[in-house]
Amino acid sequence: MAGITQRSVCSGVTFRGIRDDRYKTVLMSVNFFLPLNRKTVSSNAILPFLLKRASREYPDFTKLNEHLAELYGAVLDADVQRLGDVQILSVSASAIADRYALDGEKISAELSNLLCSVCFAPPLQDGLFPEDGFLQEKRQLEETLDAEFNNKVGYALRRCEEIMCVDEPYGIGRLGSKKEITSLRRENLTAAWEYMIRHARVEIFVLGDCDPEPAFREFSDAFRSLGRTSFELCPTVVKKVAGKKKDVTERMNVAQSKLVIGFRTGCAEPEKGAPVVKLMNALYGGMPTSKLFLNVREKMGLCYYCAPAYNSVKGILEVQSGVEQKNLKRAEEEILSQLEEIRSGNFTDEEVTEAKCYLSNIYHTFSDSLEAMENWYLVKTMYAPTRTPEEEADMVNDVTREEIVEAAQHMTLDTVYRLTGNEVKN
Amino acid sequence: MEQGVQEIRSERLGDHYYEVRHPSGLKIFIYPKEKYNSAYAVFGTKYGSIDNCFRISGEEGVHRVPAGIAHYLEHKMFESKEGNVDARYAKVGALVNAYTSFDMTCYVFSCTKHFCDCLGILLDFVQQPYFTEETVQKEQGIIGQEIRMYEDTPGWRVLFNLLRAMYHSHPVKTDIAGTAESIAEITPELLYECYRTFYNLNNMALCVAGNVNPEEVLSICDKMLRPSKPMAVERIFKPEPDSIVNPRIEQKMSVAAPLFQLGFKEPAVKGRADVRQLAYTDILLEALASPASPLYCRLIDAGLINEASFGSEYFEGPGFASVIFSGESKDPDAVEDMILKEIERFRQEGVGRETFRCARNTVYGKYLGAMNLPSNIANSILSLDFAGREIFSYLSAVAEADEEAVMERLKTQMDPGHASLSIISPDQ
Repeated sequence: MAGITQRSVCSGVTFRGIRDDRYKTVLMSVNFFLPLNRKTVSSNAILPFLLKRASREYPDFTKLNEHLAELYGAVLDADVQRLGDVQILSVSASAIADRYALDGEKISAELSNLLCSVCFAPPLQDGLFPEDGFLQEKRQLEETLDAEFNNKVGYALRRCEEIMCVDEPYGIGRLGSKKEITSLRRENLTAAWEYMIRHARVEIFVLGDCDPEPAFREFSDAFRSLGRTSFELCPTVVKKVAGKKKDVTERMNVAQSKLVIGFRTGCAEPEKGAPVVKLMNALYGGMPTSKLFLNVREKMGLCYYCAPAYNSVKGILEVQSGVEQKNLKRAEEEILSQLEEIRSGNFTDEEVTEAKCYLSNIYHTFSDSLEAMENWYLVKTMYAPTRTPEEEADMVNDVTREEIVEAAQHMTLDTVYRLTGNEVKN
Repeated sequence: MEQGVQEIRSERLGDHYYEVRHPSGLKIFIYPKEKYNSAYAVFGTKYGSIDNCFRISGEEGVHRVPAGIAHYLEHKMFESKEGNVDARYAKVGALVNAYTSFDMTCYVFSCTKHFCDCLGILLDFVQQPYFTEETVQKEQGIIGQEIRMYEDTPGWRVLFNLLRAMYHSHPVKTDIAGTAESIAEITPELLYECYRTFYNLNNMALCVAGNVNPEEVLSICDKMLRPSKPMAVERIFKPEPDSIVNPRIEQKMSVAAPLFQLGFKEPAVKGRADVRQLAYTDILLEALASPASPLYCRLIDAGLINEASFGSEYFEGPGFASVIFSGESKDPDAVEDMILKEIERFRQEGVGRETFRCARNTVYGKYLGAMNLPSNIANSILSLDFAGREIFSYLSAVAEADEEAVMERLKTQMDPGHASLSIISPDQ
């Protein structure tokens, strides 16, 4: 695998490139980091979608899409993520590498050009984003929230997070609420866009089979012309210990009950303990040979899935499962009792070695995928020094069983959330 | 390399792979990707949820088995006399998984180290069934909850409701995992019967891709594969009428906004579509309904679809084929109406040269993008092979397609008389 090159563009703007001809494609993205804030969450969230639908050069949605189709189905994409208490607004472009074009087109150059054009030259009319585009994107954002509600497994997870982090920016969610989206006003968005390009922390990636140099120059020119002098620091609240346990049951027309148990781990990136929690998480339930899978699923036959996920930026860990209503209590007890096992050191050295091998395999597979590499570095750029997946694999490898026990002992139960049907039978 | 090994190259891609007819009866594909860290393997059988009624060559009688048994068998293959398969992979730090579709069951792993051990375990456990009353019984609860999870998944329900509205008797309309009732009938004997029938190496294929050495792969195969007696299985389907069952089907669920799937059923034909037909359909759907199409633009402008969910696909397998459009919409009937009108316009006016060129390029670009990942490559080679297709030929068919051929394909597809609309709407 080719190495990553990192260069500073200007205040708060960093460019990272990986040139690698193993891939047949190229991926470029511009990612704006802003603090999650109730007042700005929705006006920020609509921006990447609004930007990627048109530019001064391609003022019409269909014309822009025709242009992308000509470029062998190049994809111009927008995304909003929540990483800790940070909202990341991304616009990305991907397409086949120049060498595979049937008629010798210069596709990579077009991609960086297109990204700069949508990010920096929106087709403003009287200083505002065009009304039709605004209404379309607002509607689609509302529908995205509807779709998130439709997926009950994901919905239950987000509800648990909302309840758990009600007093933290993380609890706001990545898009804001339906009400906040509905009350968006076009008049406020130009200022939000200007603030984003001038004051957000920015990470630019150019990955795959292309020379990053021309793209670097293009993005540099665009950002430097803004005269940026300062940028938003994006801290995340890491609550070390849970307060009073929250216990919430909500009812809805579902066939299967969803259970989510949220813990505070007391540890988040870039602390040295984060890789320890990752290993503890694997041992607890991350793999098909770990405690939750073997007991809640295989031994007790209560569920199809029962798995924890450690959010290493926020320092929380959530266990999810789908069970029959009558089994909610048994599942909850068993999930907690398996954690006790780890706290008491009831696991073998062999289990630890297996968990290390399991994570090592995942870390060493990242570099075979452009998207996985982009995701990895998107998180890692928030902290210095930036670690490679291989370096983190080594850190995990050095973790001792005492450290695992200690990490498990630091876990505190914050919230138990249940989404269940209306019928109560016990 | 040994006899029976054929090298297949693509100048366009600059890639190559090997196809091997192994003496054991197994077909093996090896796709080395230089400088990759990981390797991926898939060992699959041409056996899926639709295979509930079959005849074995040389036998008189017909076997009938409960719905969901292929998927149940997949779960149970993870237990062996030596213990759980997951545990064996955990020792070498690899990820093992499996999936069952309508017409295939596949066992896969991906690893960055100990490839030979991993492949050895794969070939071993898939060739060694081990079921007891107790282990089979235990799985009822787990699969029961998997079925329940899908009951709450509107995107899954909208598809199976559509299939029930389109197909009178073809088993594609039955959930892959079966039902709580059907899986209750599954016994170790039935599992062994299905295993012996479909896990014959002549009915299977192995594909490895990524950081792999062809000689090593073949040497492990030589050691591990136990020759299977040549045997053929005949899938038996009740005759499926050309007509649909219902033009419209609706279910209420706990959703915030409606979801839909609009399917156009095609008459059952012997055999599967070839790579050209597939390529032409893919280009046609791209021209008709991609984000660059006039139809898409009109649907968006009318507020009827969103970019996150709208799409189209060619859904086909043994004895079934249909074009399906899907998405979220406040008014699925209006979406159907606009799609039908656009299909009619295409029939009258043709695709148009420029639209055709863009659509072809897009299909070509999507295919290329999928060739980055060893897992995509291996799974595609296997599923294409099970349908008698070859992966590089598909790319050539796309690159060499012309507008006339695509229009000719349209004549046999998307008949408005065979359309069904499936809707999941809010329960309040």
